[in-house]
Amino acid sequence: MDDVMREFAQLATDRPAELRKRKADGKKVVPYIGQFVPEELLHAAGVEPYLICRGGEPEPPEAVLDDMLRFLNPLARSMAGFYLMGLDPVMPLADLIVASQPECHVQRMAEYLELQGLPLFKVGVPQNWDKAYAGEYYFRELEQLKAKLEDLTCALVSDDSVREYIGYDNEINALLRRIDALRKTDSPPLGGYDFIHLNHYSFFVDPRVAIEKLTAIAVRLEAGQGKFVADCPRILLAGHAVAVGDYLVVKNLEDAGALIATEMMDEGLRWYRWDTEMDGDPLRNLWRAKYLDKVPVNIFQPAWRHRFEHMKALIAGYRIDGVVWYQLAYDEIYDMECTVITKWLRDLKVPLLKLETSYEYSREATGPLNTKVESFVESLRGGK
Amino acid sequence: MAGTAYEEFLELGEYHGRERREVLPQWIEAATRIGLNERDMEYAVKEFIPEMWDLQYLGVRKMIGAMTREAIDHTQLKEQRKRGVKLVYGIIPAILTPYQAVKKAGGDKVFVSFPDMCLMNFLQPLFHKGAPLFELAEQSGLTYGCRHCALNKLRIGLRLKDVVPAPDIQWSFGLVCDEATKVDEYINCIFDDKWFAVITRLPHDTCMAEVDDEIPERVAYLAAAFKDAYEEVQRITGVKVQDEHVAAALDDFQRYLGKTDVLIRLTAQADPQPLRGSELVNFCHPFSMPFNTGIEHMEDALDTMIEEVKVEIANGRGIYPKGAPKVGGYFIPYSIPWVDKVFMDNGVATSSSLSMIASAKQLIPPSGTDLYQNVAEQWLRMVFGMGCHVEISTWIEKVNRAKPDALLMGFFDYDRWLGQMHKMGAREVEKATGIPTFYIEADFFDDRDYSQEALRTRIESISQVIKMRKAAKERGVAGEQAVACEPGAA
Repeated sequence: MDDVMREFAQLATDRPAELRKRKADGKKVVPYIGQFVPEELLHAAGVEPYLICRGGEPEPPEAVLDDMLRFLNPLARSMAGFYLMGLDPVMPLADLIVASQPECHVQRMAEYLELQGLPLFKVGVPQNWDKAYAGEYYFRELEQLKAKLEDLTCALVSDDSVREYIGYDNEINALLRRIDALRKTDSPPLGGYDFIHLNHYSFFVDPRVAIEKLTAIAVRLEAGQGKFVADCPRILLAGHAVAVGDYLVVKNLEDAGALIATEMMDEGLRWYRWDTEMDGDPLRNLWRAKYLDKVPVNIFQPAWRHRFEHMKALIAGYRIDGVVWYQLAYDEIYDMECTVITKWLRDLKVPLLKLETSYEYSREATGPLNTKVESFVESLRGGK
Repeated sequence: MAGTAYEEFLELGEYHGRERREVLPQWIEAATRIGLNERDMEYAVKEFIPEMWDLQYLGVRKMIGAMTREAIDHTQLKEQRKRGVKLVYGIIPAILTPYQAVKKAGGDKVFVSFPDMCLMNFLQPLFHKGAPLFELAEQSGLTYGCRHCALNKLRIGLRLKDVVPAPDIQWSFGLVCDEATKVDEYINCIFDDKWFAVITRLPHDTCMAEVDDEIPERVAYLAAAFKDAYEEVQRITGVKVQDEHVAAALDDFQRYLGKTDVLIRLTAQADPQPLRGSELVNFCHPFSMPFNTGIEHMEDALDTMIEEVKVEIANGRGIYPKGAPKVGGYFIPYSIPWVDKVFMDNGVATSSSLSMIASAKQLIPPSGTDLYQNVAEQWLRMVFGMGCHVEISTWIEKVNRAKPDALLMGFFDYDRWLGQMHKMGAREVEKATGIPTFYIEADFFDDRDYSQEALRTRIESISQVIKMRKAAKERGVAGEQAVACEPGAA
């Protein structure tokens, strides 16, 4: 499997260079922020999408502090910080940056990027999803995005084309589900570290290539040996995002002997558990899949009871021994949800470890982190 | 004569004689419920209030009395509920007209309130005693280190302390930050599943060059959202709001607005300045929270204050030295009035709060006759309702009008929407107006992390710089005038 993984990783790494070539060939480069921006629509419009979701390094969130609030979460500050430091290879190429706007951290960060002179298009996402009028707002935003892309490319986006890319994304989702299901076994051939990487790679290659690579990986994994001991502690990793590049905590958990058996993340991982309908109006289908059909994101309201029901299903389905709540520093709404979930999990007697990251991974910071992680994994092992 | 510190406090709020005797038992009960004891009273009446407030003015004392009346009323919420009074809550910032119209329509059958705001405005500026309630929320799980909003903590603390019962309906304007409305969900999920809220939200998603209130779809969307929520409020409470109630609420607003505008202008233009910036904000509370007891007590205080300020100006008197530089702010932090005091000790007057100055656009009447449309337009013309690009130009307009010698930004580090703007916008304002801006990372409501001791040096340095710049500017102007008078000067 390793060689296919390496190929997949290399393709993802090469994506910025590929984008430079494509741009030179006259293609439009459209980085996007957040999964409320339908990647399928961007592909269908013939532009070159690129997910902006990079984190895990200490300098970028610090670099923006002259102009940005210290208490914005480090992922939002990183996205701006990489650009400011000249370390973002794609934003400077952008013909348009499409940013979904579900919450204040990313909303203010998007404004900051605008003030830097970058071309932004914002997709508003109303949080009160139980109101029909709110849903229609998001739908109109998608219509406007489609129109904006048509303006940008001087070409109409056909329904058939959108459907085609919905089909590819559904296929990617199905493959990720197939791979994810392997983690339900006693000794799975991959854990969260690999699974999260697969997710990330899949954002940065053409969907057809992603399908090809994921298929090859699924086949090899299904035929391969288990990598985890049968009775190792099984963990659900939940929170806001595991950003591209932010793998230290994930790795530490599995190095400590645990298996990340599944995840519940709002960003950084594909929403692969939910497919988009193929029949009917494709834009409406994308809208429904992202806004209504999936478990609500944390910022939606009401959300937390729905999300906990989902979490309980994951705990049962993946035979979870403990939950690791992976939180971005100063992410105030996730912090509140953590308190709520901690209480409810206590009632179920499921242990929870809260880890908070500011992307400060110095030796001084990782020492206590490792101790926490090892103690938690050890306590789960003892409880089995 | 007042005997106990409780009585002294009432005296200070202009409760005298029989009225004071009648109110006293309620006041002691109310104070106890919100966690104030005799020692707190003594500290407030003997040290904190005399130091932080200009008690020589009857208007200020009356205002304290009006706030006390409202606070006492709020400690009776449980009893009100038992009597069948419908409780309608809200949170800041909001357009108050719809809430006030519910009160006008419902009278004593409905209690309309922003309990957290009311009690924050009472506990912190007068007693410096919000912390125990903040801590209660923190112990419940709203972690200290995450920089949550103290106002939201107070809401949770008041519920946990059982001062504030679940409302029949809370209508939360979630149009600025994310946290405020999620606090409703938080309370509902872990403390009180009867805490029922309807929320109005709108993504901050306008792009550069878009003006929020000039986008018809945006206005229409917000109007529809308001209508949806307001109908829910009326359905739950059984109160039917008619046009005349809305008109009466608007009348109150306009009348009060006109009067505060007079006070703010008089104060800001006076030299020496007769009143502190934090007191000006305190007089503006009827714009940020509905008064269930009515605004007449605040209005009486305001009328009195205006007359007193006129007299002071006529006599050339003030509380700052003549010529003291004036520092404006987004919002002079009235909840932690020692900020004002430290500036005062350093010979700098806090004056205008940008959020209290109406922009030219805000003075234009809303375009339609529909209540919801008007409220939506009003909201989108407020600085918190705009994208940063329009907000920056609105700030510039207001700064040019108020002409402070310097601008103080910050104090909203806990608010991911407002706080970020203070960092991003300050430099732009300075560039456009030439007025120096200073950013202080601090908390508008909660000074446990940013104490007087911690910020004193910073404020002293800022004050020095402001004074030096003002002196240099004056010397420069004098120099220019001298040059202009020389023969042959162009």
